[in-house]
Amino acid sequence: MKNIEKANEHSRVDDIIEQTGKNIKNGRYPLAITNNPELYRLELRRIFGRAWVYLGHVSEFEEPGDYARRYIGEDPFILTRDENGELHAFLDSCMHRGAQFCTAENGNTSHFRCPYHGWTYKNDGTLQGMPHMKEAYQDLDDEEITLEEACLETYQGLIFGRIAEEGPSLEAYLGDFTWYLDVLFGATEAGMTVVGEPHRWESSHDWKTSADNFSGDSYHVLTTHQAGLETENLSKGPWEELDDFPGASYLACTDRHSMGYYLSEDDETFMGYPEEIADYLNPTLSAEQRDLFGRSVFHFGTVFPNMSLIHGIQSGGWGGPWACIRKWNPRGPGTTETTSWWLVPKEFADDESFLSDSHRGWESLSPGGAFESDDLTIWEGISDSSGAVTHELRNTRGNMQQGMGAMTDEVDTIEDPLHGPAEVTSKGLYFDERNSRTILQSWYEMMSDGIEMEGEP
Amino acid sequence: MSSLPVSEEAPVDVETQHSVEQFLYREAELLDGFALEEWLTLLDEDILLEVPIRVARHPGSERPEFSENTNYLKEDYEMIRERVGRLEKEYAWSENPRSRIRHVIGNVIVIETTESELTVANNQHVFRSYGDTADHDLLSAQRHTVLRRGDDAGEFSIGHRTVYLDHTILNTKNLTLPLL
Repeated sequence: MKNIEKANEHSRVDDIIEQTGKNIKNGRYPLAITNNPELYRLELRRIFGRAWVYLGHVSEFEEPGDYARRYIGEDPFILTRDENGELHAFLDSCMHRGAQFCTAENGNTSHFRCPYHGWTYKNDGTLQGMPHMKEAYQDLDDEEITLEEACLETYQGLIFGRIAEEGPSLEAYLGDFTWYLDVLFGATEAGMTVVGEPHRWESSHDWKTSADNFSGDSYHVLTTHQAGLETENLSKGPWEELDDFPGASYLACTDRHSMGYYLSEDDETFMGYPEEIADYLNPTLSAEQRDLFGRSVFHFGTVFPNMSLIHGIQSGGWGGPWACIRKWNPRGPGTTETTSWWLVPKEFADDESFLSDSHRGWESLSPGGAFESDDLTIWEGISDSSGAVTHELRNTRGNMQQGMGAMTDEVDTIEDPLHGPAEVTSKGLYFDERNSRTILQSWYEMMSDGIEMEGEP
Repeated sequence: MSSLPVSEEAPVDVETQHSVEQFLYREAELLDGFALEEWLTLLDEDILLEVPIRVARHPGSERPEFSENTNYLKEDYEMIRERVGRLEKEYAWSENPRSRIRHVIGNVIVIETTESELTVANNQHVFRSYGDTADHDLLSAQRHTVLRRGDDAGEFSIGHRTVYLDHTILNTKNLTLPLL
C-alpha cells in the first residue's frame, strides 16, 4: 500500500513538472510548483545536486586559511583557501562518523579538527591524523581519507561549487551571461570586493519566488514599492535622467539566466559612482561593455538557480551606488535563508564617505530596508497560498504572459551590440515576462532531465 | 559568553534609575502602539541608530562578533524620519496590517554617566505576530542607548542607540523600526 502511495506521489510531481514544461510557452504555469514538499525534495537533488551554485567571492578568501561556511542546497560546505593558495569546498562531515567540524560562520584556520573523536584534516582536505593513530590504525590507507569536496570554478571573482562530478564547465553553464558579469563584477581594473559581513535572514518564502523576482521584475515596483518610492526631500541622482520611464528599461535573457536594467542617455552616468570611476575602468572591457557600464543606472538579475545580483543606484535617494550578491539558500519547502553580501569596487573600498553612502543603498534592499521589507511580506503570502491543495486538485495556473504574442505592441527587440549577446527587449521590465519564463525554463530543464531515474525519494 | 564590553556599573541614585526605566517603558509603549511621530520627538537630531550584523564565531576568534562595518540599519535622523513617513502609508506592506508588537524590557543598567548624558543598557524580548496566523517571531537583543538629560528632572532625549541582536540569522521576515 505504501509503495502504491509513493508511486502516486511520484507521478503527481512528475505530472506537475511536465505540465510546467508544456505550458511555459503559453505563460500559464502550475501555481502548485511553489512551496511543494515533494518537488522540493527533488529540487535538492535534480537542481542543487547538479547546478553550479554560487558560494562566495574571492575577496573573502584572500589569505591562506580563510574559510566560511556556505551551502549547496541544504548541504553545508566549508569554502577555504589552503596553504598553497588553492580554493576548496569541503562537505562539513567528518570521514569517520560524519560529525560536523565547523560551527563558526567564518574565520581563519590551517586545520579542521572533528570534535567527536578528534580526526584532524589540513585545509587542503587531506587527513593530518587522529588520536592514537599509531596504535589504532596500523593498517589504514590514510591517503585515501580526504574530505568530500565539491567541484569549484570561478568567474570574475565569483566562486561556484557543484556537487555532481560530471557536468558543463562553469563558463559553459553561465554561457552568454558571462558578458554581463564582466560588466557588473569586472568593470574596474582592481575588481570588486566584499565589505564586512552579509545580511542574513530566514523567511517563509520559496527560493524560486525571489530568484524569479530578481531576474527582471520591475512591474512589481509600481505596487509593492510605492511607499518606498514616494519619499520626499531626498536627492534623486542619475534617476532624474530617466524621463523616458519605463522606456529606459531593458531585459536581457540568455538560455538560462536573466537580467533587467535601466540605462541613462548620459554615457558618463556610471551608476552614480564618483567621477574617478572613469579612470579605473578595466582595459579588458570591450567598447560595448564600457559603453553599457557608462550608461548604467541599475542592474539586477538571477544566475539560475539561486544567485541574484544587484549593481547600481537606488531610486528616490535611498543611498549611493552599490553591488550586492544574493544567495537564496533553500531551508525546507517554502523556507529560504537569504544571504546578501555588499560589494564595492576595490578602488573605493577605503573611501569612508563613499562607503557610508553605498551602505545606505545596500541597506535599502535588505530586511530593514525601505524597499525589500515590503517584498518579504508578499513573498511569504505567495508561499502560504501556493501550498494550497486547491492549486493541486484544480490544477490552478499562474500567469506569465506579458510580452507574448499580441499582448503588447510596446516591447521592441533590440539588435545593438551595446546590449551584449543576450536576447534583449526594451520596456521589457514592465511589459515582458521573458525573465520569469527563462528562469522557469531552467527549472524545468533540470527537473525533467532524468525524470525516470530510479532510487529517488 | 557575551562579546559586549563588560561595563562597570555606574552607580546612580534610585530616583535616576527609576526615571530612566520609566522613560524606556514609555518609549516602548510608543513603539508597540506605532505612535512613531510621537516617538520621533524623543530623538535628538544628531541621533545615530545602529543595528550591527552579528556573526557566529569560534571562542577566541580574533574577528569581532559584531561587524564593525556592516549593519542591518545605520540611520541618521533624516533617514529615520523618512522611514516613519513611509510606514504611515497604506501601501507599506511590511506593516500593513500592523504587526502586533510587544516589548518586554529588563535588566536596565546605567553603564556610564556624565553631567549631561547617561548610557543605559537594557535587554529586551520583542514579540511580533502578523496577519491571520497563530505564529509569532521573538527578537532578542541588548540595547545601548545614550540618554541626554532634559531641562526638567526625569526628562530625556535619545542621542544614540545601538541594538545588539542575539541573532546571526534574523528569524523574522523584515526589521521595521517598531521592532528595535
